[in-house]
Amino acid sequence: MRIRWTKTLLLLAPATALAAILFVYPVFGVLTLTVHDGTSFTAEPVRQIYASQLAIIVLQRTFVTAATVTLICLVMGYPMAYFMAGLTPRRRVMATYLILLPFWISILIRTYTWIILLGREGILNKTLSSLGLTGEPIQLLYTPVAVHVGMVQILLPIVVLTCLTSILDVERDLVKAARSLGATPRQAFWKVVFPLSVSGAATGGIICFILCLGFYVTPTLLGGRTSILIANLIDLQVHKTLKWDLAAVMASALLLATFACLLIYWGLTRKRSEFATGGLAR
Amino acid sequence: MTRIVLAIYFAIVTGFLLLPLIFLVPISLTDSQFLEFPPKSLSLRWYREFFTDQSWLDATLVSLKIGIGATILSLLLGTLASIALVRADFRAKGVLTALFIAPLIIPSVVLALALYIIFLRWRLVSNIYALTLAHALIAMPYVVMIVSGSLRRFDMTIERAARILGASPVRAFVHTALPFLTPAMFASSILAFFASFDELIITLFISGGLQTLPVRIWNDLSLKLDPTVPAVAVMLTLVSIVGMSIGEVIRRRNELRYQTHSVPEA
Repeated sequence: MRIRWTKTLLLLAPATALAAILFVYPVFGVLTLTVHDGTSFTAEPVRQIYASQLAIIVLQRTFVTAATVTLICLVMGYPMAYFMAGLTPRRRVMATYLILLPFWISILIRTYTWIILLGREGILNKTLSSLGLTGEPIQLLYTPVAVHVGMVQILLPIVVLTCLTSILDVERDLVKAARSLGATPRQAFWKVVFPLSVSGAATGGIICFILCLGFYVTPTLLGGRTSILIANLIDLQVHKTLKWDLAAVMASALLLATFACLLIYWGLTRKRSEFATGGLAR
Repeated sequence: MTRIVLAIYFAIVTGFLLLPLIFLVPISLTDSQFLEFPPKSLSLRWYREFFTDQSWLDATLVSLKIGIGATILSLLLGTLASIALVRADFRAKGVLTALFIAPLIIPSVVLALALYIIFLRWRLVSNIYALTLAHALIAMPYVVMIVSGSLRRFDMTIERAARILGASPVRAFVHTALPFLTPAMFASSILAFFASFDELIITLFISGGLQTLPVRIWNDLSLKLDPTVPAVAVMLTLVSIVGMSIGEVIRRRNELRYQTHSVPEA
């Protein structure tokens, strides 16, 4: 049922107003702050960031961490998804709920539990030393390892579920065809299922990467001074050094990176619908 | 053979995912001053602590107020917008949908910084209404996604029948589409509530002196590791699991109910 444009306008006005005032305007403000100091245009903040050793290192570290975590999630998540794809629908739903269960605990609390598990006097160290495997407690908390563990635990369910969807999208008949033409199950997997589902898995990887870029809680609580990420640096520059223009430059860089990833994502998903079925179905 | 290896692998990784849940409960039941596992003796001491400590109760109350306000606002605005997004034809549809979903996708710290700067200028830092509006913004994507998704599946012939039988457009909508949408609205309001209830980063930037529950936990973590936090965590987790399960069950039941009646689109 078509509705008239006056009504459309009325329906959309409140939500648009909220998004315009509290989203578009403030974010645009951050973007302008990077090139405009209130009176005139300036390249000073961008130049300062470019000259700042700390900012460059943290930016690099953020991208490297995001890439590493994404890779770990994909490598860990794809076999999980493949296993789930082979279950009966009923069991698959149950497995999905199991995977999603940690999703319902707030990130803050999930991260907090890692402090208890990985600390010097933590559960892991106690277990290891009581088994006689280690003499000295291992330093895990406040290292990049802890940050990676925490981030993977949070992001893995998303990657597993996107991989699952892309594996399920592969036409079953294609696998049957490959098998009837003499392929071993292993060959059928590597020649049919994997190539057809890998682009879908990649989209999950991109979502994971985007989410990694903005992580704040996990690096703050589990990382030491040497593993702060861009979000922590933004926070420091706002609350400790009060350099808003520098914070704005970093936030804009983060925003830009997010947007670039989204473009790749759209590119991949647009292609995917023909890709997943190999152009055969429908 | 491969299946068995995969099954074992699946069990191990799922164990890793559930690890926090497994340890949290026993730790929260400790009787000691410190975090310990396994607890030497069980007690509800730290649960009691939560209910007798005024600052925890205040934080919970602030979180509830903001959460309920943000839920109502985002549900109202999001549902109205969804109707237009599904039913009307206009050029900017894609852009507007992207705009409503965007607060969910962009890194919270960017939005936190952006809101902090303008809230300082507008003198809205530590204003509970401003904070509620900000939370409504980050809760709205859930409402828009779920409600518009549900509305798209609604069989329009029912509403057309109501119109033909003489109902006004609004009346026809309220009596046909709205009952169909109710479970989706319920499910999305639960998600919206927890989006607000769990929000930390934006709140840390713009809440000033106001302490929501996550901010209270956060402040506690930077001081010491006291066992009240695991107790709070367990209660929060229980509440969210129960809430989300109810939402999910209702959504599924509704889908089944309408599946049998709906006519596939030509």
